[in-house]
Amino acid sequence: MRGITQWENTRISVRSIAGSPIRSALTALGVMIGVAAVIILVALGRGAQTQVESSLNSLGANLLIVYSGEPRGTALVRSNTANIRPTLSEDDLAMIRALPPELVLLSAPASTANVQLKFENRNIAASVVGTGPEYPEIRNFRPIYGSFFTEIDVERRSAVVLLGAQVYRDLFDPGRDPVGESVRINGVSYRVLGVMEEKGSAAQDSSVLIPISTFQRRVSGDSNYAMISIQAASSEVMREVQSVIEQQILRLHRLPSMEYADFYIANQMDLLSTVAGVAGTFTLLLASIAGISLVVGGVGIMNIMLVSVTERTREIGVRMALGARPRDITAQFLTEAVVLAIGGGIIGIALGITGSWVAMNMARTAAEVSIFSVVAAFGFSVLIGLFFGGYPAWRASRLDPIEALRYE
Amino acid sequence: MIELINVTKEYQMGDTVVAALRGVTSSIGKGEFVSIVGPSGSGKSTLMNLIGCLDTPTHGRYVLAGEAVEKLSIDRLAEVRNTTIGFVFQTFNLLPRLTALENVEVPLVYAGVPRAQRREVARAMLERVGLPDRARHKPNELSGGQRQRVAIARALASKPAVLLADEPTGALDSVTGEEIMELFHTLHSEGSTIVLVTHEPELARRAERIIRMHDGEVV
Ligand SMILES: Nc1ncnc2c1ncn2[C@@H]1O[C@H](COP(=O)(O)OP(=O)(O)OP(=O)(O)O)[C@@H](O)[C@H]1O
Ligand SMILES: [Mg+2]
Repeated sequence: MRGITQWENTRISVRSIAGSPIRSALTALGVMIGVAAVIILVALGRGAQTQVESSLNSLGANLLIVYSGEPRGTALVRSNTANIRPTLSEDDLAMIRALPPELVLLSAPASTANVQLKFENRNIAASVVGTGPEYPEIRNFRPIYGSFFTEIDVERRSAVVLLGAQVYRDLFDPGRDPVGESVRINGVSYRVLGVMEEKGSAAQDSSVLIPISTFQRRVSGDSNYAMISIQAASSEVMREVQSVIEQQILRLHRLPSMEYADFYIANQMDLLSTVAGVAGTFTLLLASIAGISLVVGGVGIMNIMLVSVTERTREIGVRMALGARPRDITAQFLTEAVVLAIGGGIIGIALGITGSWVAMNMARTAAEVSIFSVVAAFGFSVLIGLFFGGYPAWRASRLDPIEALRYE
Repeated sequence: MIELINVTKEYQMGDTVVAALRGVTSSIGKGEFVSIVGPSGSGKSTLMNLIGCLDTPTHGRYVLAGEAVEKLSIDRLAEVRNTTIGFVFQTFNLLPRLTALENVEVPLVYAGVPRAQRREVARAMLERVGLPDRARHKPNELSGGQRQRVAIARALASKPAVLLADEPTGALDSVTGEEIMELFHTLHSEGSTIVLVTHEPELARRAERIIRMHDGEVV
């Protein structure tokens, strides 16, 4: 039965905190800001991560691209492939198409060249991509107006073209229906089938698409392809697809190993995990900066608690004289520090969520509040209260009752 | 009730040792009203702190209500202060943020008495010291005499075996001091054991017994 209850300790702390509200608010301010910072910065980090991942996914699902030539950088989609000597053959494409649907769903060859485009009296430079009818599906790049060419167009080597959004704007007056019009590419006339959706990437928006067979006959005169885009059956098989295709092309090209390869494969998975890794590091960095401010907040609590213990020496002496054990005094001051930290933490959480909301809705920044960061920030502020309140509380409990009573 | 056998208290002051008590042997029985007198620095407060278990003797034995205090742990000392001892200080030592009623409750809080019960006891104690209508006042809204009454109510709250008062009238004018002394005498007549330190021979004489101290010794 004997002994003060934690409930009573909490009441004492709350009263003492409420007794000097401004000082208490200032004491908790550091933790408040720290917690808000953790939540906002983690939300921004995660928002950036999600945004990058979704823009990567917009390139196409489970995308692999076999490129001619030496590996260059880590980019999944290379901005300029026009000046690469194409090394990928029809046999390579046939081999990929022969792979079971458990591995590969779709594939489309592509080659590019820089050309002159002409419509009526307008003349622009653009890049032309020769490819297959699977291309829109694989690259998640579809006509917004009109329709894409079909397998029949490829078989017949039809002179048909789809315009990138920028090309359409450059050649046609606003609102003019381009479908059925004739556009000249390097002097040859092509019938316009439609306009591609805007992707926001200059490479795609400033290009035009024609059937691969037409490209080979009229533009390049080369039966090889610059690249082959592949849609794997699932993200799980992407690594396997990559290694199978590598082995098969090495065999077809009679090459001993990838060191000698005249092609390379860019894998969306690798890129995604690289980006996720970078973004994760970024988020962690932001979180640790915010974490440091939480620790600084904790030091603030410790500072004020030490002052408070000194100021309240007499109170401590009185409580001891009336039967408080050292552990009761420890508990009292520790509770006070934890209540302050929790109070700061709760206000900080509210500020953090509000701040993230503002960033998202007012500043139009991607922000994703993570429940984990909220829970972690709260838990961390409790720990900070315990840790930084610990020393002042211990000091308080070690006071000699007689000296404490004599303290002026 | 209180038995001191050859108790000494020494303080280390740098290189020198100051002896505040030099072998005090004394006993105080249950229900007694004893006053302690002596010149300043003679060790009265030191003795009271020992009796009140705020401090432990350097040498000697101290038996309080059958328990050898010099052997007690820190926690047990706190418990003894809480249940067996009631302190009244010269400067009242009320907690400034708490109301009179809450101040009286403090020892009961540390005893783990539930709130409702605590309230009830505290009210009864305030009534007993003649302040039933000041329960909600903060100490700074009370006169010196009223504060000391609250402090006495607080000392009585845990129904202690011994009431210790170190110059309880020292900070009060003579009329108010007289009233406080009346209160002590009433409490004594109701059965409390009281030990009182005072500088005023007038007040000391009215106790049942006087312990005179000089230079750390009982004379
Ligand atoms: N913490 C301490 N450290 C060193 N010396 C001390 C300490 N406390 C008391 N003393 C010394 O012990 C002696 C007795 O002090 P005490 O306070 O008991 O006297 P007192 O009789 O109560 O005096 P007063 O009538 O002035 O209150 C004094 O000489 C004092 O200086
Ligand atoms: Mg004294």
